[in-house]
Amino acid sequence: MTPRWPVLGPVLVLVAALPACTEPVPEAPPLDEWDQRLAERVVDYSAALRGAALKLTGELPTLAELKQVANAADDAARKAAYEGLLQQYVTGPRFARQMFRFWQDTLKMGDTPALDSAPAFLAKLTVEDRSYLEALTATSGTCPGFDPQTGAFTAGNCTNTPQTVGLLTHPGMQAHFFSNLAFRRVRWVQETFACGAFPAEVALTATDVGGVSPYTGTFPFTSIAGAATGGRVDFRDTKSVICANCHSNINHIAPLFAYYTDQGQSSQTMAVPVPLPGEPRAQEADYLPPGEGLAWRLGVPVTDMASLGAAMAADPDIASCAIARLWNFALGKPDVVDGPAQVPAATIAEHVAAFQAGGHRLRAALLDIFTSDDFIRF
Amino acid sequence: MTRALPLLLSAAAAAAAAAACTGEITGDPFVGPAPNPYEELERLQREGPPRYSSRVHGCTKLRYRTLGNVLRSRGVALAATGDVSAGRIYRDGAAALGAPNYGGRVRETVELGLATTSKIFDIFVQAAPELIAAMGARPECGGAALFDAAGRCNPDGVSCLLGVPATPTHLQICEQTVARAADVESGKQLAVAVLAAAAHTCE
Repeated sequence: MTPRWPVLGPVLVLVAALPACTEPVPEAPPLDEWDQRLAERVVDYSAALRGAALKLTGELPTLAELKQVANAADDAARKAAYEGLLQQYVTGPRFARQMFRFWQDTLKMGDTPALDSAPAFLAKLTVEDRSYLEALTATSGTCPGFDPQTGAFTAGNCTNTPQTVGLLTHPGMQAHFFSNLAFRRVRWVQETFACGAFPAEVALTATDVGGVSPYTGTFPFTSIAGAATGGRVDFRDTKSVICANCHSNINHIAPLFAYYTDQGQSSQTMAVPVPLPGEPRAQEADYLPPGEGLAWRLGVPVTDMASLGAAMAADPDIASCAIARLWNFALGKPDVVDGPAQVPAATIAEHVAAFQAGGHRLRAALLDIFTSDDFIRF
Repeated sequence: MTRALPLLLSAAAAAAAAAACTGEITGDPFVGPAPNPYEELERLQREGPPRYSSRVHGCTKLRYRTLGNVLRSRGVALAATGDVSAGRIYRDGAAALGAPNYGGRVRETVELGLATTSKIFDIFVQAAPELIAAMGARPECGGAALFDAAGRCNPDGVSCLLGVPATPTHLQICEQTVARAADVESGKQLAVAVLAAAAHTCE
């Protein structure tokens, strides 16, 4: 480390001196046609009201509501009328129903009592303006009931496990996403809370492990199980290194989800099969070599479901994901993991910052988005 | 400056060499099948770059349950049993309308396809007589019927059907559709179906 400083010193001096140079600073690139189109949008509170009403209540605005906005005296009055109606929308029973539907769709769970309690829990968090992070950390109350007719919630605890950890231990989720080696559950966690497909992390530098393609995971290639370490599935097969690129992350998480049966009940032993003749139950050695610990991400070790939930809650990507999903919902785009509708970080940066600063409250985030400049302009 | 330049050049050369021998990765190496670059270019030209497209409203279809709410709130009987009733088409058309299949871990399809758009139009065509008859009595519409006693399009009624204030263009389309039809009743139904289907194509 020490020899580098004499080298960096002059460089830093040079960088510091740059602004003082007399050469003109290059101007920002000229606005292109897309900037022009953004600038040409006009505020339309009536159109915004229709979109907000459909998304937040599942209904069209009434004629009286339409007139309240359209007949307002000026822009300020229209804004006030629009925002007042939004407040009414997010405090009414139809909002609870709509959020229940939104979370059903997000979680891909619903229409049976066992599956409905997970979206009901997230709808309850939204309606009560509680922290979204409770979805990853709550120790009770994660199996509420919900009546879409009245918008009323009924408190309920999940009873499938001695230690409830948000939706990570939810019995409906564990049953619905049961699969070989619990990989479907892990994929659900990744796509639901981190808004991305695996691989979750990609190394800046690829590693040649002797395969036809390089290894690009962030964990060492030898950190996952393979035939050489007693694993029954060779995740280190160099003929298909592409598998290891994803499993470097998956295998550091999946063992935690392997202790739930196909009915979603926690088990003392691993309860998911390995795709081999006879479908034997999975073992720790199928995922990781002896001594290798679990982790949410490289450098973020976890030991159990509670620490996984805490690690995820502390990951800023989780907050960004939540806002990106709400943004696409509001702006009329497919779910953020389903289509090509990308949400650049710059588009939602201020909303993510407000979400984080305000305690990760979903209802507040929705109001923030539905009153944003981009939402009210067409 | 004279001392810094060789250092910078050395650093740049070292960085270039490192990149060459390790194959630096700047993107996601595997996110499913590689997109067709020509299709991707065409999409970008049509929709604009993400910094633009992410900031403008999209056109996802009305969600299945939301469509049901819209129909019901404007006077359509969703439980109707007639073979070609709007309620029946709605109930039987869940798949064509992109309804979710949570048992199969499938979200609602929100992107518009031809089958979905056609089905929505079918529903509004069949719903038009019910809308014309019932909307004036709906509390959501505050007593505003779609047509006045003289058969002219009522701005308040049209606004309530659309969910936005009716513009002169909306009213012109309404009036012209009625006037050009073979008979007034058919014209009213066609006008309502056209306006509703166009307005409620996108959520």
